[in-house]
Amino acid sequence: MIIFLQAVADGLQMGLLYALVAVGLAIIWGLMEMINFAHGEFMMLGMFGAWGLSVWLGWDPLVTLIPLAVVMYGLGVLVYRLLMQKVQRGEVFTQIFATVGLFFFIQNGVVALFTSDYRFVEGSLLTRLSGANLSLGGVRIGIPLLVGGLIALGLFLLLYLLIDRTDFGLALQATAEDRDAAMLVGIRPQRMYAVAWGLGTALVAIAGVILANFFSVYPQAGLSFTVLAYAIVALGGFGSILGTLLAALVVGVVQSVTAAYLPPAFKDAFVFASYILIGLFRPQGLFGRF
Amino acid sequence: MAASSPPARAGRAQQVAWVLAILVALLYPLPFERSGQIYYETVGFLVLLNAMLGIGWNIIGGWAGQFDFGPSIFFAIGAYTAALLSIHFGWNAWIALVGAMVVAVVICAALTYPVTRLRGHYFAIATVAMWMIAQPIGATWRLINGSQGLFIPVAAGGSFVHGILTMEFPGRGKGLGFYYLSLLLFAGTLAGARAIERSKWGFYFRAVRDDQDGAEAIGIDSRLYKVIARCLMAAIFAAGGTLYGFWALAVFPDQVLEVNWNILPMMAAVVGGLGRLWGPVLGAIVLIPISQLMTATLGSGPLAGRGIDLIIYGAVIMLIAGWRPNGLLSLPWAEWAARVRGRAPARSAPKSPDRN
Repeated sequence: MIIFLQAVADGLQMGLLYALVAVGLAIIWGLMEMINFAHGEFMMLGMFGAWGLSVWLGWDPLVTLIPLAVVMYGLGVLVYRLLMQKVQRGEVFTQIFATVGLFFFIQNGVVALFTSDYRFVEGSLLTRLSGANLSLGGVRIGIPLLVGGLIALGLFLLLYLLIDRTDFGLALQATAEDRDAAMLVGIRPQRMYAVAWGLGTALVAIAGVILANFFSVYPQAGLSFTVLAYAIVALGGFGSILGTLLAALVVGVVQSVTAAYLPPAFKDAFVFASYILIGLFRPQGLFGRF
Repeated sequence: MAASSPPARAGRAQQVAWVLAILVALLYPLPFERSGQIYYETVGFLVLLNAMLGIGWNIIGGWAGQFDFGPSIFFAIGAYTAALLSIHFGWNAWIALVGAMVVAVVICAALTYPVTRLRGHYFAIATVAMWMIAQPIGATWRLINGSQGLFIPVAAGGSFVHGILTMEFPGRGKGLGFYYLSLLLFAGTLAGARAIERSKWGFYFRAVRDDQDGAEAIGIDSRLYKVIARCLMAAIFAAGGTLYGFWALAVFPDQVLEVNWNILPMMAAVVGGLGRLWGPVLGAIVLIPISQLMTATLGSGPLAGRGIDLIIYGAVIMLIAGWRPNGLLSLPWAEWAARVRGRAPARSAPKSPDRN
């Protein structure tokens, strides 16, 4: 029983970090219905940014979080303006095609600069706390992951408020729902898409900066998170930011409970099996609006 | 969405194009066979294999309009089934190929029917899910030897014709043999897809894509036709997987479930022109040689292993996508052909709009 509870606690913490990886996609894909195959590559860029700044300038990842997010916001807008805005004129599938190209470009660009070696962020604030634990009725909760999870949760709530409670968020949703009607009331759709790409990219890069504290940093780190993020957004349901959070927690728990009892190779398989299973009963995801 | 040529005028040009294409396809490997540059025969083999898979993916993706991100599971099922039939029961490769297609279709129908409850993006992620579940199964299942893989033994000796009949080429002539084998399967796939495009099924697929509720209102069972479309794709991928298995003489889970078998056929269809019969063919002819040649030229030398070839490949892909978001077949080919033949192009109404 204690093993199970421990697995659930670990899973919830991981789930919070997954939520941060997925929420960027929840904006670009879930809300604005654009496909980005290179989502995880932006996360990987965030990881490398955190690693680079900590090695060269000695900045802690928790400090570099904000400047990196700003830079990555700019990159996201740039990708939309230079590439996706043109691609949007064609079939939806062309977006996959274009972002597969982006995926090759970014991943191998990083390989060319830094090689495929594994790197680690050492001596950061969170890693120095790595011995510290909270104990709740026998279940141990590691402080670093908890801090990372809480940062993720905080950002998540800010984003939820932005999208659900502000005029700007409503304009985003209006663009997603009916582009032409949004134009009629004075919303410039392409600006909305650009902002969505900026936000999505910045958020997943922040996730990368936090994850760099716990995971090794290497150019191929992105793809498995991309695949997981798509499953999380679909499981949560389209257009629902809180659905994404809940789905990420479900995924985190399924993963860590599976890993506690079964061979680790099946950890992701059970996540995806539960997606299919839940999908059969709720074809629109847990909280999907469309 | 037919090819963009006015029928009467283009009739003769089309005949000429057909004859030329067939001649090029048949003669292509011969100079390389003479000079011993087997590599270019292999490139041709990969182009035809991916074109064939692209045609298959186009049935579900282009005509039925369903995102399928995990077709490689049927490629793997085909490769494994044929390998098992050949190793354990000594079946001839062609009979094993038919067996592999049947197994893939049965599994596809059983897996796909339940998830057709899901629509659009939700369905797409379900296909990814199947692929993610297949990977650990492939790596651990005893019957198929887990991550150790299966090896297909080759009988010694035999003529070229014998090789074509058994897909076994023990000595030289393997490059040439597999080029023609892939050409044969490709031609069969193309002819089949052409027949389907003009059949009742073809129209039902497109009706489901364009307006699922409307299609159901006139009595089309959309779930059934999605399953049929995906099973047709599964059969083609299983045939491709069989061919690949006999070419590689081994089947490994990492290899047959590789993400490229999901992406490349789809990319070929998209870059050529989604939903057009020849789209994936053109796409494969453009994409595969670019990546192969870049790997061959930039993959070695001082910058080897630094991914320079893939950086350029990625940039090329983005340029094509941004420049021609509806595929290369959407270019005004008929107009150009008319100009080449010295005829002033009739300034036809708005030429190839970006949205079709």
